[in-house]
Amino acid sequence: MLNIALPKGRLGDKVYNLLSSIGYDCAEIYADNRKLVFENPDNGVRYLLVKPSDVAVYIAHGAADIGIVGKDCLDEGDFDVFELLDLDIGKCNMCVAAKNDYVEDPDRPIRVATKFPNIAKRYYASFNREIDIIKLNGSIEIAPLLGLSDVIVDIVETGTTLKENNLSVFEKIMPISARLIANKSSYRFKQETINELTEKLSTKLQEVKK
Amino acid sequence: MQQYINSLPIEDKLTIELASLFEKFGYKKYCMAKFEEYSFYSDNRDFLSGEGIIAFNNSDGRLMALKPDITLSIVKNSRISRDTLTKAYYNESVYRIGKNTHDYKEIKQTGVEVLGKLDSYNISEIILLAVESLNKIDSDNILSISHMSVISELIEKYNISRKLRKSIIDFIIGKNMHDLKKLLIENEIDSDKFIEIISVSGKIDAVIEKLEKFSEDGFSFAEAIADFRMISDALEINGYKENVTVDFSVLNNTDYYNGIIFQGFVKNAPGAVLAGGRYDNLANKIRKHTEAIGFAIYLDNLNLWYPNKKEFDTDIVIINNGGSAAELLRVVKGFADEGHSVKVETSEPTDYNYKTIYTFDGCLKEGK
Repeated sequence: MLNIALPKGRLGDKVYNLLSSIGYDCAEIYADNRKLVFENPDNGVRYLLVKPSDVAVYIAHGAADIGIVGKDCLDEGDFDVFELLDLDIGKCNMCVAAKNDYVEDPDRPIRVATKFPNIAKRYYASFNREIDIIKLNGSIEIAPLLGLSDVIVDIVETGTTLKENNLSVFEKIMPISARLIANKSSYRFKQETINELTEKLSTKLQEVKK
Repeated sequence: MQQYINSLPIEDKLTIELASLFEKFGYKKYCMAKFEEYSFYSDNRDFLSGEGIIAFNNSDGRLMALKPDITLSIVKNSRISRDTLTKAYYNESVYRIGKNTHDYKEIKQTGVEVLGKLDSYNISEIILLAVESLNKIDSDNILSISHMSVISELIEKYNISRKLRKSIIDFIIGKNMHDLKKLLIENEIDSDKFIEIISVSGKIDAVIEKLEKFSEDGFSFAEAIADFRMISDALEINGYKENVTVDFSVLNNTDYYNGIIFQGFVKNAPGAVLAGGRYDNLANKIRKHTEAIGFAIYLDNLNLWYPNKKEFDTDIVIINNGGSAAELLRVVKGFADEGHSVKVETSEPTDYNYKTIYTFDGCLKEGK
């Protein structure tokens, strides 16, 4: 049985539809219920629906064999997993944004509000800029508006939320997309099955792109 | 005795069984102090995979460290003669500060190190002991082997800068070929050939065949091929070939490791439970003209992944209702000598289960 951790929400639905179309379907998943584990013994898959930021945790600890996770969550946690495929979906950017009229004051540390403190720290450390991290869990955009922070480090998809709050992107840190990851031990014991799924998924993604 | 060993939790059982295995192959137990000068470890900090060292001042003001690594200590402190090998095994704890969590960790390890002038026998023996050690945890296991000379050849051939090396190695360790490809293309390196080589994996003989073919493209993997062939022969003769595969994502710091490196996996554990390899570069940094190879087995969490579930906590419970203590002790000793576990209580226990219960009031009666 291959245990697949999917992020709850839009990205998870999209990936499930792709996996379903290449033979890893699980009809039970469409049932309108609160179950979080779905199994199809006929094609040997068990899906676990988990919070997007927890997918890599489940994989790293071996509670699931493979999973789909955003590069943002993956890099924030520094997990010891294999990253087998860039699905090239759920694309966005990790950016530094601030009020439209923001001008950096080089005399003091930058106050950075973010859900991704590790990514922010690594980014600013790469050019030796001192920062103060303000860890928030949501509605990050509000922080510069209320003077809580100078800038935010967050994922930006279309930029609409930023625009509506009079914020702009000042720097792009890295591109983000969904990745297929695997537990390092599971990969070795189920290598054939995981490689077959990876190949099929890769081919399907190429077809969809065309 | 074996019955007693089998009844122990796996961490304790393994410690005894592996000590016996290592001694049979001529390894001597190496015991070490818990503390050492901080400067020794801070000089070799990269060897500790980025994890922190727990430091403190001793009474005369010197900065000391709670031992964060065993290999470094053995290389530094062992008496190494020019003519004979130093073969040591250990069963120790190391102490580190978690890279991300920043909490203090005690990590229980057992393992072996061979220091001196190594030959093909020593390398084969270490691989065989690694496979035997994994078998003692779970017969469903995989030893993934790799060779540092493969990445060294690629670094040299493509003239890869020191700055770029770390990112490339991180991508290989994570099997992240999509980002590796982008990075290689950005740096005008032949990404297709690089990825084709580094992705080679599988059974040892098939990998040897593939590596040989790359010589047509001007690559020389002679060192890796020779070591893989030697290991393949050694495993074949000793019947251990089935569970060993080559995987170049098993990779380590090129400043310390050279030659064969490996990681061991068992079915129930989510990560490697065994890791080791040849580290002449590290050994030479600390002591001149020393070659070295070894491995460690991480014992933490094995009890969780391989619980030794017993049907009963205690075989026999005796409720002591009075009578001669000496006579009761004679009865208890009699049961213990027969191999039973016995516990004397003043009333019937409710917080653990037992097989048989007796009462004692001068003489022994079965039942409550």
